[in-house]
Amino acid sequence: MKKFHFSYLTLLCIATGVIFTRCSKTVDDPVYEPYPETSLDQTAGNWKTYVLTSGSQFSLPAPEAPTSSAYLAEVEDLKRVAATLTDEQKEAAQFWGGNGVLRWHEIAREFAAQYNVPPNYNADGTYPWPDPANPTVYPRFPFCNPPYASRAFALLSVAQYDALVAAWNLKFQHNRKSPAHYDNAVVQLIPENDLPSWPSEDAVVAAASREILKFLFPGEKALIDEKSAEHKNSRLWAGANVQSDLDAGDSLGRKVAERIIAYAKTDRMGQANNQAGYQALKDAATGRGYTDLWVSQDIPARPPMLPYFGNVKPWNFTDSVKVAIRPAAPPRAGSPEFESALDELRDLAKNRTSEQWRIASFWADGVGSYTPPGHWNRTACELIYEKTLNEIRSARVLALMSTAVQDAGIVCWDTKYYYLLPRPTQVDRNVTTSTGIPNFPAYTSGHSTFSAAAAEVLGYLFPDHAAEMDALAKEASNSRIYGCIHYRFDCEVGLESGKKVGSYAVERGKNDGAE
Amino acid sequence: MRNKLLCTLLLLSATCSLLTAQSPTDALMMPQHQICILGQYASGTWDEYWEGTNKRSNSNLGTFNATNTMLMANYGITDRLNVMAGLPYIRTKSDSYLKGQQGLQDLSAWLKYRPLALSAGPGEVRGFVTGGASVPVSRYVNDLLPLSIGLRCPTASLRAVFNYTFHFGLYATAQAGHTWRGRTTIDRDSYLYNYQLYYTDEVPVPNVFDASARIGFIKPRFQTEFWIERNACVTGDDIRYNDGPFPTNKMEATVAGWFGKVFVTNQWAFHASVSKVLAGRNAGLATTWAAGTTYFFTVGE
Repeated sequence: MKKFHFSYLTLLCIATGVIFTRCSKTVDDPVYEPYPETSLDQTAGNWKTYVLTSGSQFSLPAPEAPTSSAYLAEVEDLKRVAATLTDEQKEAAQFWGGNGVLRWHEIAREFAAQYNVPPNYNADGTYPWPDPANPTVYPRFPFCNPPYASRAFALLSVAQYDALVAAWNLKFQHNRKSPAHYDNAVVQLIPENDLPSWPSEDAVVAAASREILKFLFPGEKALIDEKSAEHKNSRLWAGANVQSDLDAGDSLGRKVAERIIAYAKTDRMGQANNQAGYQALKDAATGRGYTDLWVSQDIPARPPMLPYFGNVKPWNFTDSVKVAIRPAAPPRAGSPEFESALDELRDLAKNRTSEQWRIASFWADGVGSYTPPGHWNRTACELIYEKTLNEIRSARVLALMSTAVQDAGIVCWDTKYYYLLPRPTQVDRNVTTSTGIPNFPAYTSGHSTFSAAAAEVLGYLFPDHAAEMDALAKEASNSRIYGCIHYRFDCEVGLESGKKVGSYAVERGKNDGAE
Repeated sequence: MRNKLLCTLLLLSATCSLLTAQSPTDALMMPQHQICILGQYASGTWDEYWEGTNKRSNSNLGTFNATNTMLMANYGITDRLNVMAGLPYIRTKSDSYLKGQQGLQDLSAWLKYRPLALSAGPGEVRGFVTGGASVPVSRYVNDLLPLSIGLRCPTASLRAVFNYTFHFGLYATAQAGHTWRGRTTIDRDSYLYNYQLYYTDEVPVPNVFDASARIGFIKPRFQTEFWIERNACVTGDDIRYNDGPFPTNKMEATVAGWFGKVFVTNQWAFHASVSKVLAGRNAGLATTWAAGTTYFFTVGE
C-alpha cells in the first residue's frame, strides 16, 4: 500500500536544484585587454643593452616606402584578410594585441609550473637526471626549480629587451608607420598609435621569446613555434602590421636571441649541477669548522640541487663583488642564538595560527608552481599592466627585475653551499612543516633573497608601490618561518642580501637612458 | 543509518580527500518519533596509492593513516520520512615531516523518504530517496593532501535505494547516487589543473557518482552484510607524476567490505565493519576498520 508524500518530495527536489546551481564549476582567470601605447620613447634605441653591444649592433635592409607597389600590395592582402576573419582570429587579435611581452611571460610561467617537479627515485634509491638531449624522455628536461626559473625569466627578459632596443633604433630611423596611417580602409581591431610599425615589435618579441624558450624548454618546440606564429599572424588579423613589418621583426628578434643564447652557453650554468664537485664544498665547510652539515631530507636522500649555481655569471655585478657581499656566517648549531631560533620554530610547529598557515601556503611556490621568481614575475606583469607601459618599457621592467632576481639566486646559492647549514627538521625531527622542504641547505632563505631583490627593483620602477612591494617581500620571507623550514636568521639576512643585490640593478636602471 | 557510516568509511578508505559527507545508502527507516544517536570510530591505513592510474608507494610519505570519530543522529518525522545529521572529527598522520591535520570536518544533514513499501512474494520490496547537503564547519587546510581532513567545499547529494528482504531475513540492496560538489578556495592564488595554470584561488571540485550492492541477513537483534561499492568523480585531472594530490583530482575507488551489528538490549546496539579498496585512481589503497555504538529512544507520544 503506497502513498506518495508529494509535497516533501517536491521540496527535496527544489532544495537540491537550488544547491546544484550554487555548485557551479566555472573558475575565472583575470583578463588582460589591449591598451593604447602611452609613450613612444623615440630615443629608446639608445638605451643600454645587456648582451648586444648596442641597439645598432644589427641592422636590416631598409623597408619599402609606403607608396611603393610592394607595400600597396601588402595592404591589399591585409584588407582581404580583414574581410574573412573568423571569431578565433578576432580573439587572437585581442589576446596578443595588448602587450605581447606580458603574454610571453605568461607562457614562460606556465612552462615553469609544468616542469617544476623533481624526478622520482629509481628502485635502487638513485635518482635519474633530466637530459637536454632527450627532453621528452622521463625525467623531462628541464626540472624547472627556482634557480633554473630565475635564469629562464632573466634570459627571456634580456632577449626581449635587447631585441626591442634594436627594433626601436630601426623604427625611428625609417619611420614607416602602421598601414592604417596610409590607407583609411584598413580598420585596426586594437587601439591605434603613432609608433612606427616597421620592424614589428610584436614579431621581434615573438621571435626573440620563441628562440629563448625553445632553448630553455626544448621539449616544447612545437607548441612554442605555434604560439609564435599565432602572435605574428594576430597582427595581420588585427590590421596592425603588414607582412614585411613581421618578416623584418622576426629576422631581428631571431638574430638577437642567437646572441643571448650564445651568452647563456658561457654563463657557467652548464657546471651548476657538478655533483662530483660537491665533496669539495663539504670539505671546505668542514675546514671552516662546521661539523653538522646539511643532509637531504628526501627519502631516499637526493643529490643536492644545483650545488654550483652560486658560480653562475651574475648580470649586474662581477664575481668578486658577489664574494664581497656574501652574508657572514650564521649562528653555530648549539649556540644560544641558534637554539632560540629553533625554539621559535618548535613553537610554531605546534601552535601555528591559520593566518600563519595561509601566509606560508600563499608564498610557498613549491612543486607544481611557477616558483618564487615566477611569483615576482607575475607581480611585475600586473604592475606593468596597471601602468599600461609600452612593450619596450615593459621589457625593461622585466629585464631589470629578472636579472636582479637571478643575481639574488646566485648570491643565495653561493651562500647556501658555502655554509651548508642544516634545515630545522634535520636538527629536530619534531619540527613538522606546513610545506615541502626544498632539497638544498637553509642559510640564507631563497624566498627572502629573491623577494627583497625584486621588491627593491620594483619599488624603484613603481615608486607609488614601493611600500607595498617591501611589505610583500617581508611577508614572503616570514612565510618560510611560519612553514618551519627556515630559521628567522635565514630570512632576515636573506632580505638584507636581496636588497643589496637589487640595488645594483637599480643603479643600472638609473643610468640606462630610460629616465 | 549505519550505512552512512560505511560510506564515510569507504571515503576514508579511498583517501581522506573524499571525506565530504555522503547520504545514507541503506534500507532502514526509523519509525515515527524514534531517535537514534550513533558514535563511531574508524581508522583507515594505506602505504600504496594510485598516482593517476599508476600504483606506487612513496618513501617520503611512508604509511598514511586517517581516523574518523563520528557522531550522528537520526529522527523519524513519520514512518516514511527521516531526518539525519552527522559531524565527523578527522585526524591524519604519515611518516612525512609534513604536519598531520585534525579537526571537525563537514556538517551533513539528510532527508530520507520511503515512497515504496510493498509485499512481494516471500518478502518485501522497498524504495527510498535520500537528499542531503553538507558544509564545512571551519576553514580547515584543504591544500595539503593527502593530510588535509577534507576538500572544504559545499556538497549536495541525491540517491535512490532499492531493497528486497525475504521474510526469513536474507536481503539484497542496490543504490546509486550523485553528489554535486561546489568550488573551494585555497590559500595560494595559482594552481595547475588539467596541466594548465589558473590564476585564482578558486578551485573546482569534481562531482561524484556512486553505486553499491549489498547482500546480508537481518533479524530483529542482529545484522550481517557484505557489500561492494564503486565511487568515481565525473570530471577531474590526474595526480602528475611524482607530484602531490589536489582537490581537482579525478578520484575513483572500488571498495568491498563486511558489516555486522548486534543489539545487546532493545535500545543499545554495537557494530563493527572492515573494508578494503580493490581498485582505484588518485586514491589510497586503504584498509579500514570501524566500531561503534547506537542508542535508540522515543520522544513524544
